[in-house]
Amino acid sequence: MESSRFSVFARYVLAIAIVLMFVFPIAWFALTSIKPISAIFDKDGVVVFDFVPTYENYQVTLFGQQSIDVSENSRSDFGTSGGNSYDGRSSIVSSLIVAIGSTFLATTIGLLAAYGLSRLQFRGSQGMLHWILSQRFLPPIAIIIPMVFIFRDLGLRDTHLGLIIAHTLINVPIAVLLLKSFIDDIPRDIDEAAMIDGATRLQVFWKVIMPMAKGGMAATAVLCFIFSWTEFLLSLFLTNSIRTIPVKITTFVTSTGSEWGYISALGTSAIIPGFIFILLVQNHLVRGLTMGAIKD
Amino acid sequence: MASVNVEKLVKKYGDLEVLHSIDLDVEDGQFVVLLGPSGCGKSTLLRTIAGLESSTSGDISIGERNVNGMHPKDRNIAMVFQNYALYAHMKVRDNMAFSMHLNKTPAARIEERVNWAASILSLEPYLDRYPKELSGGQRQRVAMGRAIVRNPDVFLFDEPLSNLDAKLRVQMRTEIKELHKRLKTTTVYVTHDQIEAMTMADVVVIMRDGHIEQMGSPMEIYDNPANLFVAEFIGSPGMNLLAGKIVEDSGKMICRVGELDLPLPEQMNISAGQDVLYGIRPEHLIPSETGVKATINVVEPTGPETHLFCHMSGHDVCAVSRERMNWKADEVILVEPTLEYVHLFDAQTKEAIKRKT
Ligand SMILES: Nc1ncnc2c1ncn2[C@@H]1O[C@H](COP(=O)(O)OP(=O)(O)O)[C@@H](O)[C@H]1O
Ligand SMILES: [Mg+2]
Repeated sequence: MESSRFSVFARYVLAIAIVLMFVFPIAWFALTSIKPISAIFDKDGVVVFDFVPTYENYQVTLFGQQSIDVSENSRSDFGTSGGNSYDGRSSIVSSLIVAIGSTFLATTIGLLAAYGLSRLQFRGSQGMLHWILSQRFLPPIAIIIPMVFIFRDLGLRDTHLGLIIAHTLINVPIAVLLLKSFIDDIPRDIDEAAMIDGATRLQVFWKVIMPMAKGGMAATAVLCFIFSWTEFLLSLFLTNSIRTIPVKITTFVTSTGSEWGYISALGTSAIIPGFIFILLVQNHLVRGLTMGAIKD
Repeated sequence: MASVNVEKLVKKYGDLEVLHSIDLDVEDGQFVVLLGPSGCGKSTLLRTIAGLESSTSGDISIGERNVNGMHPKDRNIAMVFQNYALYAHMKVRDNMAFSMHLNKTPAARIEERVNWAASILSLEPYLDRYPKELSGGQRQRVAMGRAIVRNPDVFLFDEPLSNLDAKLRVQMRTEIKELHKRLKTTTVYVTHDQIEAMTMADVVVIMRDGHIEQMGSPMEIYDNPANLFVAEFIGSPGMNLLAGKIVEDSGKMICRVGELDLPLPEQMNISAGQDVLYGIRPEHLIPSETGVKATINVVEPTGPETHLFCHMSGHDVCAVSRERMNWKADEVILVEPTLEYVHLFDAQTKEAIKRKT
């Protein structure tokens, strides 16, 4: 009895410790974003809550105010090109376009490929699966230079479309694999029942397989979105003027110092769209949508 | 409604031939059961009729139409699968209406057909539920509802009851039979359960290793198995089979099994010295005043009758009695084979030995 109560207690302590470990950096980051610069850099000690909150960092990064207007301790703008370079709005738009676009493409392509690989038997379908997976063995950095040249020659460099394609390429293998496992879970009998009911292959896919694979599509979309939303390397190399949030934030690290306030404000804001996206799809994230179709 | 005719059907998977020149005629309105052990090709035959598998050679026609190479949706058949294969994301109503939605049946007509099917299958209270909210038996009924709403030419069932528990299986068996009586739709029904086959079929087709071993009404097959395989496959407890030799004893043919002499019916197509298998079903091996000596090993009362598992000169046999005697293990009794139900099989060919006509 004693030991079991202790083990319950220990489990709680461990769980809380782990949660704290993950939450702390985010919380600290969020806290930093509303601190005045004097509280961020206090030479006498670490300021935790003992400061007057300021929304200056958000006003600059999200609402496009010139940093000079809101700042009382007048920052210098050396090393950055104009006051608006701390405006994160266009990078949020770019990130959204790229993330939503590549998520949509990767999930769509992944679904079609997964259905084919799961249902149609053709020579080398197994080999094809391995080949698709092998596309992820190579780190993107290894192919970045040829990729930059190819994208430049195709006129895709520094375009949203280019980045969407790049992120889709990276996400498709995972999407195919994940979705195939979901479609494999839907018994073939259901395809066949639908065909006997009068459906063509396309109708089977559209009216039966897709609705039943909704959970898998949601899970895949979340993974693809998060990847694209946080991806840095490809975005950095494939764009100049279009900057996604991760790349934009690095420009806040300037030759005259890092703007921790702006970094944390934009970084904290960047969590929100991903969060909303996951909230939207989480209802579909439950597995077992095939439940009830067959004997358990 | 339509007949189904299969002619010289061969099905190969790569080099593996799983159906060897099958000929099968199902008459309009008949209930035909394909029966055989697992892996004998029943499902393959059914799926080829459905068009879910292509045939390697041979012809299949439904009604007057040759359906070789025709897409399943154009064959006007309906199929019920072992695992129900319901559309999990649709309500019961939409599961049943799916085929009619696809062929753009007017909404009023769909409504009418779905309600009709639901009333036949007592599914009215469940029309707005999802499959996951139904019990196994209800799901199976939905699968049947989906089949009957369209008024197909042929119903195909692939072991539809094997996922249900024993009690429900018996109940659904009756329901399917009643449904057939009511709709009179030509039906091909696959099972490995001989009781299902016996109770439901107009015609039982016994299959083994991609061949049809015998075809006939349940009682025909039970009483006149064409060979050893059919004799062993049908009946529970199974037919007693004793390896023996035909001997002529004072002008009469008998079968000598070890030191036992078993009586034979007249007019058998046999000759002295022939090696045979002597077959007698348990219910035709009855404890009586005369007959052959047997030592009781186990007594199994089933209620209406009692199964007596006995040793008979080194062979294990089962005798059945409908009388309630107080038998005990190790008791020695006399059992009498009913002559007209004795089966003889050639020991080499395993074919049944016919009576002279
Ligand atoms: N898609 C397939 N590929 C190769 N062999 C198959 C395939 N489907 C069935 N078979 C083989 O065909 C034989 C008959 O199978 P099946 O018709 O399913 O038997 P049953 O339904 O009588 O149990 C089996 O030996 C099985 O292994
Ligand atoms: Mg089968």
